[in-house]
Amino acid sequence: MTKNALIHYRILWKPTGNQPGAKRGSSAGIGDQLRALVLLRDHPDPRRTDLRASMRDPFEQIWVRDFNLNASLKVIVLADASASMGYQGTVNRLAVTEDITSQLALSAYRSGDAFGFYAANSEMINKLTLPTRINRSAWLWVKQHLSTLEPSGNNADGLLKVSSLLPKQRCLVFVISDFRWTKDKTAKLFKALNHHDVVPIVLQDPSEIDQIPNRGIATLQDMETGRTQFVWMRPALKTQIAKARIEHIKTLQDTSRIYGYKPFLVKGKFKPESLTQYFMDRSV
Amino acid sequence: MNTLHFFKPELLWLMPIAGLPFISHGIKQFKFPGLEDWPIDKTSQYLRWGLRGLASLTIACLIIASAAPFTEGGTTSRVGEGAEIVVVLDRSGSMSEGIKGRDYNRQSAEAGESSNHFLSKIEAARQVLLKFMQQRPADTFGMVAFNASSISVAPLSSDRALAEAALLSAQSQSTGFTALGRALALALDYFEGRPYTATRLILLVSDGDAIIEGEDQAILKQEFIRQRAQLMWIYVRGEREMSILDSVIAGDNEIETQADIAYAATKQSASMHEVFQQLGMPYQAFEVESEEGLQTAIKAISQATNKPTRYELRLPRKDYGVYFYMLTMLLLTTLIFIKRLEIKVWKP
Repeated sequence: MTKNALIHYRILWKPTGNQPGAKRGSSAGIGDQLRALVLLRDHPDPRRTDLRASMRDPFEQIWVRDFNLNASLKVIVLADASASMGYQGTVNRLAVTEDITSQLALSAYRSGDAFGFYAANSEMINKLTLPTRINRSAWLWVKQHLSTLEPSGNNADGLLKVSSLLPKQRCLVFVISDFRWTKDKTAKLFKALNHHDVVPIVLQDPSEIDQIPNRGIATLQDMETGRTQFVWMRPALKTQIAKARIEHIKTLQDTSRIYGYKPFLVKGKFKPESLTQYFMDRSV
Repeated sequence: MNTLHFFKPELLWLMPIAGLPFISHGIKQFKFPGLEDWPIDKTSQYLRWGLRGLASLTIACLIIASAAPFTEGGTTSRVGEGAEIVVVLDRSGSMSEGIKGRDYNRQSAEAGESSNHFLSKIEAARQVLLKFMQQRPADTFGMVAFNASSISVAPLSSDRALAEAALLSAQSQSTGFTALGRALALALDYFEGRPYTATRLILLVSDGDAIIEGEDQAILKQEFIRQRAQLMWIYVRGEREMSILDSVIAGDNEIETQADIAYAATKQSASMHEVFQQLGMPYQAFEVESEEGLQTAIKAISQATNKPTRYELRLPRKDYGVYFYMLTMLLLTTLIFIKRLEIKVWKP
């Protein structure tokens, strides 16, 4: 895993809290961003004496620099564990989830950030809950536990219940799912998570978008409802399917925009660099 | 009349199997994460039900085919041409005697000095019968010769050469006893197993000297009726013989003494003519004294047998299993073709 690049997530807000970390925080402390100049009397730290400010002061007072604390962040991953997450197409969807989560856990630890994990289908899965804290072995825990998960259930309504268990302060929340939900459900979840910085990670498989057969007949079974569909694949239908997937992403993007989020698409295998790239794009 | 029957109707109980394709149509199934936004595709829906129907029909066809459906052929009435004639030729010793009016100059005829004078009964019969055969190409001939025992000389067949050769080879020979009953039985046996398509005629050429015992009479009578055969007796009469119409035991040249007559009378109370009259089938007797007379008799016979025979032909039953098998093959070919269209791996 270490050979994979770490994910450098960037945020445009200042995390609260007094835990030192890598992000520019909002409280006073040791950091690299000047917060204010205060009198030595108020902040008795002669190491931070601002000589220039002290010399210029006609009242000959000693001024000391005050910095913003480089604070740590809380990174939380919410994973959808409904049946469709068990889809095995070109890639194994659950394996991709595992890759993303463990890589995020490792990256969080390396940045000195806390990491938490929750999974839910129609109910929250208690066995797969990792409390939010700085955790060196979180990425291993994720690898160990997600591989034993057997996705089931036909919805991910449990995620709504998870939202109330999250920290009160603002966190970076990743929601990993294929987002095959109705628009209302997505909106409801986003609304519940609205005071966090949410990154919807949308898992897609080429096998359900463009890597589908050109011709032939087959039966498809919906993994969540069990409904079967007889299909006669032909180029016309293929175009329609591709159009439906584009429409799905567009709807998701529209819904996310209302809450100020931007979905991150993972088509096939997950590459950590692309997530870093996503954060850079988002910050602009 | 043409209702459908099944040879093995119990196999039709398997018919519910034909519903199997509606439970599972056997097309390879792939899991798909979600079908909620799958395009509404009417063509696929029709194809799905069409395919199920097709598979169901195939199974149904196969079950029906294996139940072997058929319709009874029924019968048609046909008009038969020609006749089936079995010549029963008496070749007993008495047949070598000269025919009435030409029984003189035997020695000179045998010496080869005169060809015109002497003519034995059997020779006369042979010549006339041969002509009769040649005149009637539509008929089927068979031949039984008999004296002490009956010989199946030529079976009833369309092989005309065989019948003619059989006729030509018939020579008279005395063996002291004449097995008329058995000869008639053998002649009747020729008709056994043949479809009744033409007039059946047993042409008995004999100078009559035989006894048919009471038991045999009953059997013969029964057989004649069963085979629907007519009997015609050409009674070739010699100089010294009596008319069949008034003799007790017809023209029996071997029954001469009073003792013989008495013995015959105990065995057979009536003349052969009377016996034949009681057979229940059409019977005619021709008493022939000369060659000309023989020809007139034959002419009368031709007229009698020229009448077309109306008969019921039982048609073979019509088997539909083969059509169902063919249909099954056709449907299976279609299904195999469709199966080839099946997606094996979900990728382009």
